[in-house]
Amino acid sequence: MQKESAIREPLILGHKTYKDITDDVVRPIVGPASLGWKIMITISSIVALYGIGSILYLISTGIGVWGLNKTVGWAWDITNFVWWVGIGHAGTLISAVLLLFRQKWRMAINRSAEAMTIFAVIMAAVFPGIHMGRIWLAYYVFPLPNQFGSLWVNFNSPLLWDVFAISTYFSVSLVFWYVGLIPDFATIRDRVTKPFAKKMYGIMSFGWSGRAKHWNRFEELSLVLAGIATPLVFSVHSIVSMDFATSVIPGWHTTIFPPYFVSGAVFSGFAMVQTLLLVMRKAYKLEDYIHVKHVEYMNIVIIVTGSIVGVAYLTELFISWYSGVEYESYAFINRFSGPYKAAYWTMMTCNVISPQLFWFKKIRRSLVATFILSIVVNIGMWFERYVIIVTSLHRDYLPSSWGEFIPTATDVGIFIGTLGIFLTLFLAFTRFFPVLALNELKTILKSSGESYKNEQVK
Amino acid sequence: MKKVFHVMYDDDEKLLVAARELVSKGIHVNEVYSPFPIHGIDPVIGIKRTRLAITSFMYAMSGLSLAVFFMWYTMISDWPMNIGGKPSFSLLENLPAFIPVSFEFSVFCAAHGMVITYLLRNGTLPGMPATNPDPRTTDDKFVMEITTDTNSMNAQDLESEIKKTDVFELSIKDVKES
Amino acid sequence: MANTKKYWSGLDELDGTDAFQEIQSKEFQEQIPVDKFLADEKLNSTTTGRRDFLKFMGFSLTAATLAACETPVIKSIPYTNKPPEITPGVANYYASSYYDGMDYANILVKTREGRPIFVKGNAATGIGAGKVNARVIGSVMELYDKARLEGPTKNGESTSWSDLDTAVSESINGNGRAVVLSNTIVSPSTRKAIESLGAEHIQYDAISYRALREAQAASFGVHAVPHYDFSKAKVVVSIAADFLNSWLTSTQFAPDYAALRNPNSGSQSKHFQFESVMSMTGTNADVRTMISPSEEGKVAAGILAVLKGGGVSNLDAKLSSRVRNAANALSGSKGKSLLIAGTNDLSTQTIVAAINQLLGNYGVTIDLERPSQAYRGDESAATKLIADMNSGKVSTLIIYGCNPSYDMPNAQAFNSGLAKVSTSVSMNGVADETASRSTFVAPDHHYLESWNDLSLRAGRIDLVQPTIEPLFNTRAAQESFLVWSSAENSDWYTFLRSQYNDAYTVDALYSDSDWNSAIHDGNMAGNDLSESPNYASPIETSLAERKVSEVKGGKMELVTYVKATAGAGQHAANPFLQETPDPVSKVTWDNYVTMSKSDMVALGLNTYIAQEDLATVVKVTVGDKQIELPAFMQPGQKPGTIGIALGYGRGSKGEKIGQAAYQSGEKGQHLLLDSGLPMPIGVNAFPLTSNSEGNTIYASYDVNVEATDREYPLACTQIHNTYMGRDSVVRETSFDSYLAEADKPKGKASWNMAHSLNVHDDTNHDGVIDARDKENTSEFDLWHSHPVKDVGHRWGMTIDLSTCTGCSACVTACSIENNVSVVGKDEVLRHRDMHWIRIDRYYASDYSLEKGEEEGVGVISSYGLMEDPAENPQTVHMPMMCQHCNHAPCETVCPVAATTHSNEGLNQMTYNRCIGTRYCANNCPYKVRRFNWFNYKGHSKFENVNPAHDSLARLVLNPDVTVRARGVMEKCSMCVQRIQSGKLEAKKAGTAINDGEIVTACAEACPSNAIAFGDLNDTGSQVRAISENNRSYHALEEIGVQPNVFYMTKVRNVDSNEA
Repeated sequence: MQKESAIREPLILGHKTYKDITDDVVRPIVGPASLGWKIMITISSIVALYGIGSILYLISTGIGVWGLNKTVGWAWDITNFVWWVGIGHAGTLISAVLLLFRQKWRMAINRSAEAMTIFAVIMAAVFPGIHMGRIWLAYYVFPLPNQFGSLWVNFNSPLLWDVFAISTYFSVSLVFWYVGLIPDFATIRDRVTKPFAKKMYGIMSFGWSGRAKHWNRFEELSLVLAGIATPLVFSVHSIVSMDFATSVIPGWHTTIFPPYFVSGAVFSGFAMVQTLLLVMRKAYKLEDYIHVKHVEYMNIVIIVTGSIVGVAYLTELFISWYSGVEYESYAFINRFSGPYKAAYWTMMTCNVISPQLFWFKKIRRSLVATFILSIVVNIGMWFERYVIIVTSLHRDYLPSSWGEFIPTATDVGIFIGTLGIFLTLFLAFTRFFPVLALNELKTILKSSGESYKNEQVK
Repeated sequence: MKKVFHVMYDDDEKLLVAARELVSKGIHVNEVYSPFPIHGIDPVIGIKRTRLAITSFMYAMSGLSLAVFFMWYTMISDWPMNIGGKPSFSLLENLPAFIPVSFEFSVFCAAHGMVITYLLRNGTLPGMPATNPDPRTTDDKFVMEITTDTNSMNAQDLESEIKKTDVFELSIKDVKES
Repeated sequence: MANTKKYWSGLDELDGTDAFQEIQSKEFQEQIPVDKFLADEKLNSTTTGRRDFLKFMGFSLTAATLAACETPVIKSIPYTNKPPEITPGVANYYASSYYDGMDYANILVKTREGRPIFVKGNAATGIGAGKVNARVIGSVMELYDKARLEGPTKNGESTSWSDLDTAVSESINGNGRAVVLSNTIVSPSTRKAIESLGAEHIQYDAISYRALREAQAASFGVHAVPHYDFSKAKVVVSIAADFLNSWLTSTQFAPDYAALRNPNSGSQSKHFQFESVMSMTGTNADVRTMISPSEEGKVAAGILAVLKGGGVSNLDAKLSSRVRNAANALSGSKGKSLLIAGTNDLSTQTIVAAINQLLGNYGVTIDLERPSQAYRGDESAATKLIADMNSGKVSTLIIYGCNPSYDMPNAQAFNSGLAKVSTSVSMNGVADETASRSTFVAPDHHYLESWNDLSLRAGRIDLVQPTIEPLFNTRAAQESFLVWSSAENSDWYTFLRSQYNDAYTVDALYSDSDWNSAIHDGNMAGNDLSESPNYASPIETSLAERKVSEVKGGKMELVTYVKATAGAGQHAANPFLQETPDPVSKVTWDNYVTMSKSDMVALGLNTYIAQEDLATVVKVTVGDKQIELPAFMQPGQKPGTIGIALGYGRGSKGEKIGQAAYQSGEKGQHLLLDSGLPMPIGVNAFPLTSNSEGNTIYASYDVNVEATDREYPLACTQIHNTYMGRDSVVRETSFDSYLAEADKPKGKASWNMAHSLNVHDDTNHDGVIDARDKENTSEFDLWHSHPVKDVGHRWGMTIDLSTCTGCSACVTACSIENNVSVVGKDEVLRHRDMHWIRIDRYYASDYSLEKGEEEGVGVISSYGLMEDPAENPQTVHMPMMCQHCNHAPCETVCPVAATTHSNEGLNQMTYNRCIGTRYCANNCPYKVRRFNWFNYKGHSKFENVNPAHDSLARLVLNPDVTVRARGVMEKCSMCVQRIQSGKLEAKKAGTAINDGEIVTACAEACPSNAIAFGDLNDTGSQVRAISENNRSYHALEEIGVQPNVFYMTKVRNVDSNEA
């Protein structure tokens, strides 16, 4: 049983026993659904349905219902895709990277963060699908021999790399998440009384019984999974960024993209975690487990990644001038002075300036400020992708085909819709799944629990 | 006819101490059920380090080779095409384009292969019955399982030895030898 | 004996007993137990059990369901007996000719399985290599117009030919006055047919050149429009004559003009243009000067004065100097020059005639001995006719080949007069403005269904032959004339034929071989009656000069012009032409008021037009007439003048002239006027023209323009006008600097420097700085790439920017050849036009980054300023289509390998593999890929514009080219279907493919031979030669995509300081 210094702020407040932890986490699951939850899920599922409706309209009528045109072939679709994938990254990063670094504070947030990851990646996966002109032929992207035997996919295409990256990322984070859930499902299984629930959790817990040997394997597994998920999470957004980096379009053709996209992803991901957790801890009275210290830690990550992103923006500008390529330099001049400059400056303010406020401890530790800023950051990150995609496309090489992009109701509807679906899924998660990693929290109770620390001081 | 002792403790450290004592007395502890991993218990009750990590490495390697072979087969051997004038004459020339997929696929195989092995070796699969002796072991209680058949001591001695430790609750069952 | 033998069935028969007889009489010898069978109880008691009932129900339900689901019906008609000349899948070509009163061309008609699908120039035997323009190419579409009348009508009700004939011939032979009103008839036989009616014949032209004719008559005694020979004109001065697009029979001028524009010969013609509206011709001028219409005469007078050694009077200094330059250039090449004027004002034309006489151009570049037979219309006669009609003096009016109710300046008066004519007959194919107002419509064949002979100039007869059986119950107009004149033999073909062989009888079709070869060639020699003009007779110009000097211009002047697409209105219902962007403004589906930026700013109008930036509607008042049209900012428009295109606003009373002639809304429905009638495209500007001295004047010197608060969307395919100083896109130079370095090797001349990699560093990372590091970007490879040179074919294209006039014939040709979807105004407005080839039109800007540095303006604001074209900009037309890059960025990014490179250098699309990610289009530096946003052939939004919707119009589609599905990417294929068939032909013949045997639709259509197509690996090919010429370059060479399309630096015949 390793101890930690008593001066370090406790991660679990109040005098908690193992039982209290179990009770606190299982209470919302066994207890009746709160009114607030019911209201929220109704709203979010209505929004979700609207989104699904828009998607059906799109698929039945044609991509023409979006505002795209001969010059701008991607806009909101791929913007949303990149945005959602980015958000996804926080979960894996928290559970994998922080695990490798033995960051105990991750244990309070990793479960819900991973859940968010999975739902975000599902949302992300929607867009590459529906942005296809002929989605009913989507299976062409899998390396299946076609009816004539030998027409394979094109492994040179970054879009195909995406297919592999996203599917790997999704499935791996899914199993990572689930493997961690199994013991907690077992806990719930042994607590719930309703026979149906008991049966369901029984099935979901795979008959886990907490044998020493299993725990031994469990810890090994988590460690190794973390070990391979870490390069994975970096590779995924690098590959997404290669969709742009490997092209010839000025503003896309940029070697800085992989690190730039990854840090941007972590940045937006942590912001989304903040947004969700700050609500969740109140709603489910988890203030003792997710408290200011956790928020502060995450804010620190946000400052760091936010600053990296800021540096990336400036580097881009510098290089566009330094390269001396007229198309390159025009592309960036056009970004901040052209028809879409509003988007560019929104991005700059939200992503570069706003996170710097976290240098102030007061703001860093203020829940309200954090909540607002986390939303601001995600707005900013959406605009980053929009700026990269649309402003680079709308004015590329031949001025004759310089154009414009004007979103339609369907563009907006689908984006809002995915937010709805995402929220619905997350709400369902908080209702039926253990939102904290029980078994992990219990292991740190003695080392980082407030009461135990006090005993040490005595 | 054997006796099964389910010794329950209300704290992981108590269990650890007790386990040490009993083992020192040459008592063999069959199994420990706990709501979370008790660090340091494995050597005490003689659990060897798992070899899961090695399997995952093997899965990764096989995934890698499979991916590379497949891409070589489709892009270079089976149906080579002139795509943007890029070289498709030999694997080496075309390799840079294959790196991302190779990596992703090895990770894919490593992760899933390992998880499947883990579940199979544990025997934890969808719908399996729970085998923990007491539901509280997934909450805040810790149970040690000791049986007569794996111990030279007789039941009484065992019981008395166990009683010496800081037991929270002790249940003794008679189980038919199978 | 044997045959007498008798056999008995038995003794009974032998004896013939009664029993035997009885049995014989019965049918059955024994009783058959029928009653026993019927008596079976089970039969009566059988009932339908539940199971049976369900079975039957199930069956009938299934049957009903099956019957309900409709299987797609594919109409296909087999050749039960195949015509000898038709082989399914093999095209037949027929020589024919096109004349619609405006355009004249020798054409080849491509037919597939008996239906005409493509019209191209008759290169073999045509006048001027049989070049055609967009309007002629597009005309094939009109054959399949659903709006065509299916038979004769009386007061809008269909009637029979016999009834119509009796009524009409009675009326003609009655004692009233009968008149035939037509456009200029250039067909000798048709003229005869009309004469045979014995009725008075009046001709008028929608676009009249009467003044030009009158001037020739007055000066040289030949009452005709002269023939102009641009192939000899080293200096061309045009005063508002759009001779490449609409002036006279322009199809004949473009090739000759272009031939002299190519600087490779070491000489280049010089072209001055004085005009108000930026015309297509004006964009090609070396020196373009903006003048008001009221100054046209003064400019002519000025030139004359200078030639006579005088000075220019009543013109401002700048203009005078321009006039002096032009005059000097003219006098510099006497007898090898041309001065032409577009105006229909007699005084100006007289002065012009005098100048050309002075220059000795008559007999050299201007020919009156064999003048043009076209444009003999006499609007003064027409005006008199209208008066007579209104005073009820005309009892029969036969209207042929024209649409006076629409295109006469005084159409109102004509219509009221038409109502007073007891028997009016229109021969138009559709119930247009005139036909719908006439008592009878005797619909004429479409020209692709009819016989005719045309003679544009003495000495040559061009033949029109039918290429398809008449689709409807129509009748050749000439036949109608013959019928009404009650000629004994009223068969039009017989009549036509007997003009060239008196002995010809109807039953000897194709009797003599000369005639057959004439039909095959599409023309034959006609009897050569040349005129005898007196070129020397002195011309008195003082009166004319006084008149032009007296012309006063108002504060705002109007010029009407004719667009390259809709013509004078005859093509209003043609979706292909409506969607072809105007060569200058790039606006589709509309006409508008062209204005200079300064005037628009003064009136506070929107100058930037885009998807959601609408044009302001202005009210134009000419005398008592008013029209409202959106204003469009046109660089090069003389401030103080506006321009409006004629030929729009067809069918303003909802006449049935074709679906595509009316505006379709976002859902594809026809937009309606407040009156509930469908909203026509644009507004008719003919009412704004006026008549003076018996000539229709297409300009007016004092109009009023005021802004309204209405806004109107204009669908423009190019919303950015300058090329932002990107000289690796467009390369141009002046003629003298070209000559200075004309002999430099490719890539070395200052005006066409090749992009090379930096020498100072080792760019291929082999550690040594060697020749490879100094390679041109176009040659350099990072990797060992697929071989393209000298392996089999490598199809390529070359485009000469010096000779491309921007006429857009290639765009129309490509669209029809490749079944390119017509998407309609709303989609074009959303920047989703589908053209595989487009013509990028760039205006020069006064500003540049260098200038910005000098003036200390920051880079950012200099870029801003560079977006504005100059007030009177130089213009470049750059045809842009798929460049078929050897290192194609689009191919690399396609996840499913739907676009790959053929081993013949083609960048090919596999439609049925495409999943529509649009990544390729994004990654295309030339933005030439087009995406099928909707199911164009099925979606209701396109039912009024897209030919594939209607079973008749669908016949125009090319069976060799797939109609693309929704959600797939498409682009220029370099007419791969033509390449394949060409290769097949060569294979069958067992020969190599000779250069020029395979031609793409665009190269074929190009009137100025700017586009050439061929095999770059064929050392003898034209494209190979051009690609090695030192003017040739790759667009965006430095990004290293290595295209197979070469452009040739544009050379302007200006001094380097002017350029």
